[in-house]
Amino acid sequence: MSAGVGVPKLVGASVRRKEDPRLLQGGGRYVADLKRVGLLHAAVLRSPVAHASIRVSVDAVRADPRTRLVLTAADLPEGMPPLPCIDVMPATKPANEPLLARDVVRFVGEPIAVVVAESRAVAEDLLELIELDFEERSAVVDPEAAMADGAPVLHEDWGTNVGNELTHDVGDVDAAFAAAAHVFKQRLKIHRYHGMPLETRGVLADWDPARDHLTVWSSTQFPHALKQFVTGMLGLPPHQVRIIAPDVGGGFGVKCEFYPEEILLCLASRGVGRPVKWIEDRYEHFVSASHAREQIHDVEVAVEPNGVITALRDRIVTNNGAYLHTLAITPSSIASAMVPGPYRIPNYACKALSVVTNKVPLAVYRGAGHPQAVFVMERMMDVIARELRIDPAELRYRNFLQPDELPFDRGTEIVLAGKVVYDSGDYPECLRRALEMVGYEAFREEQARARAEGRCLGLGMAVYVEETAIGPYESATVRVEPSGHLVVYTGASPHGQGHETAFAQVAADQFGVGIDDVTVLHSDTDLMQYGVGTYASRSAPVGGSAMNKAAVVVREKAQRLAAHMLEADPEDMVASEGRIHVVGDPARGFSLAELAAAAMPGSPLPDGMTHELQATEYFDVPGIAFAYAAHIAVVEVDSETGVVTPERYCVVHDSGTLINPLIVDGQVQGGVVQGLGGTLMEELMYDDDGQPLNPNFVDYLMPAVGNVPTIEVGHMETPTPLNPMGMKGAGEGGAVGSPAALVNAVEDAVAHLGVRVMSSPVTPNGLYDLIAAARR
Amino acid sequence: MPEPIQVTVNGVAYAREVPARMTLADFLREELDLTATHLGCEHGVCGACTVHIDGHTARACITLAVQADGTAITTAEGLARNGQLTAVQQGFWNKHGMQCGFCTPGFLMTVTELLDENPEPSDEEIRDALGANICRCTGYTKIIEAVHEAVRLRAAR
Repeated sequence: MSAGVGVPKLVGASVRRKEDPRLLQGGGRYVADLKRVGLLHAAVLRSPVAHASIRVSVDAVRADPRTRLVLTAADLPEGMPPLPCIDVMPATKPANEPLLARDVVRFVGEPIAVVVAESRAVAEDLLELIELDFEERSAVVDPEAAMADGAPVLHEDWGTNVGNELTHDVGDVDAAFAAAAHVFKQRLKIHRYHGMPLETRGVLADWDPARDHLTVWSSTQFPHALKQFVTGMLGLPPHQVRIIAPDVGGGFGVKCEFYPEEILLCLASRGVGRPVKWIEDRYEHFVSASHAREQIHDVEVAVEPNGVITALRDRIVTNNGAYLHTLAITPSSIASAMVPGPYRIPNYACKALSVVTNKVPLAVYRGAGHPQAVFVMERMMDVIARELRIDPAELRYRNFLQPDELPFDRGTEIVLAGKVVYDSGDYPECLRRALEMVGYEAFREEQARARAEGRCLGLGMAVYVEETAIGPYESATVRVEPSGHLVVYTGASPHGQGHETAFAQVAADQFGVGIDDVTVLHSDTDLMQYGVGTYASRSAPVGGSAMNKAAVVVREKAQRLAAHMLEADPEDMVASEGRIHVVGDPARGFSLAELAAAAMPGSPLPDGMTHELQATEYFDVPGIAFAYAAHIAVVEVDSETGVVTPERYCVVHDSGTLINPLIVDGQVQGGVVQGLGGTLMEELMYDDDGQPLNPNFVDYLMPAVGNVPTIEVGHMETPTPLNPMGMKGAGEGGAVGSPAALVNAVEDAVAHLGVRVMSSPVTPNGLYDLIAAARR
Repeated sequence: MPEPIQVTVNGVAYAREVPARMTLADFLREELDLTATHLGCEHGVCGACTVHIDGHTARACITLAVQADGTAITTAEGLARNGQLTAVQQGFWNKHGMQCGFCTPGFLMTVTELLDENPEPSDEEIRDALGANICRCTGYTKIIEAVHEAVRLRAAR
């Protein structure tokens, strides 16, 4: 059938978001806002120490008349499996994170008991009646110390603290190093920080004893995956469980994990026969929601005299915290697969270890392992450029893969995602545009003038390639209501990305209707049998592809029906402004409402046509679509105080076809600032005994409006061949490039003082020390 | 012991008894079902719970309900009248000044106070006024644009 639709009007347009009028008027409905008849409230007792044998006595709290239920490990059903790790590889040690600690606690914040009462305040009061005896064990917080002989072993059944080991080996690395003119060796460290959504986690579970049915509202990024988790853990058939993600106040990967409270609240509700809600407080979020990033890289780069890199070796140690949580291996898998980035580097070897320590479990956060990989590659680019006295941009140009070399098989693979084959793009052009945006030549002159005045200005660049739009699939249903209004469903599940707008744009274009003629529903497993969720920059490209596919099927059905009614050729029918009509003759046709009525059950239909204008379609991902970008940061460093002031920030990125550039700009800007916070301000600090040192918003500093410059964004739109609309992901990239660009800028500002910056964060204290050390 | 309080919230008078330890945020959310006032940190830093008490911003998470006795409170639910967005709300909509929406009510209350007191703030004055509201989604660029848009819209109305 012909395209049957005019030029798309909404895809590509910066449409204002459909969700905003509701959110602007207090109409958001987050988990904490939900009430149910008979609702009770839960509070969780958490370990105050990092490593200890424990004994719990709950007699006093059970005896208190205000207590409705107490759960300890002893109260859990027999045979309850441990929390699953889902990104396992061949060498991954068996998952063993309990729902509640029984005999041993392994991190500050580990849940030990749950108390249910009539209010949150009373439940928290009752926690104080629990007697917790503990005998402290030696804690280990440093992953290299955890690998040393004699280190305390966290999991006796493993016999080691190494939870996973993986390798990549591409080309002939040894030969390339043997032949290298220059070899650069460096240790680079990335610290521990995390997504810190402004809405904490929260769960409301309602196990209806009369229907033997469980409904769970959770602040999650993937309700369909959560359903599999809940049914698996509780041994329930899928039809007895419904999961709903209501409005979710930011996720960033933190809520792309399975958490013990999501099961404990179900058990609590079953135990009391009433709905129970738990809303995490901010301290709990610091000590129980997944942490991220922390890695050590020992990297070696083999380089020809002209700066062309011939080989790279890396050894990565990820500090995974106490347990292998849901997506524990992904950070080391992505980092190890992606270090070579947009550069040709024909020979590459990497070994990545995931090591457990007495910290909060570590998992994914916006970009997962990409920010670390980019930090390593782009820092090394500047190290090499400085040593070989080559302009850092020129060095990158000498190493870029060229557009005609794509698709390019990197030879590496990412767990759960697949082979790393860069699909499409023009990396040199991307950097060229970013340099033009910032005004590179003019900046160098300004930098020289500033330096003559004693001011330290620096420019840092980072170019990266990023895995987006991963599988396995996403789902969509498109339905034409009797009124002609479109109601569409997606298996993706938003937490701020604007799905209700973007998917409406995609569906509307197939019918030539406006954005207000489409309602987008999502995040409820009773609405869609199958779905995946929102993470890994996948919803627009994968969910959007599914939405487009379903809309095309419904539009073609409407065309066939209209053609039948007019005794015309379906090939001659076109969709335009909410009508299906004969091409060139808008009067000869029908409105969507008329066609919906004609397709109603009970109406006569052409042979073989089913009732209703509705279709459910899936888009199966054929391969990873790789987005890319060039980031350029300009900073000023106060060499007397170590304070870094970001002055400008420019991004040129390529996410393929854009559905809504306004939304994409917001994603890029937000990501950049999360990376900025992570690089210059945020650090989850621990002492040597495993005590968190700054688990509150006073001591864990995040960017406010005064800490950030305007983030300038430019787009390239190279369509990927991997889906019909050519879309790649855009959600995470901002946070992927900014740590490297900012640290490169800082070093550029103070390199003339002899300062080299090989670890993050770059806080005023830390940078002051580096500057002082260089001056000595 | 419950304490009696009388407050006017978004123009509606309430007389209630509350525990002395109940925060204003919990009072608004749990007792009055006004859930636009969000709790991001419960220790007065993030600004998501910002409301107006007698026309001035206050953090509802570190204000006790009993402290609000006798005051007039406005929450984000009380900004728009008859579905007509205020200039500040419209500015945030037009310029994509929000993503997940969780911090947004706090920003709206802060910006509303700013523009009530200073209808034409400079970029620096805007950054200064918003310096104690945390947004984890937008990176602030579009929030600044939203405030400038609100200034334009207010002037035009």
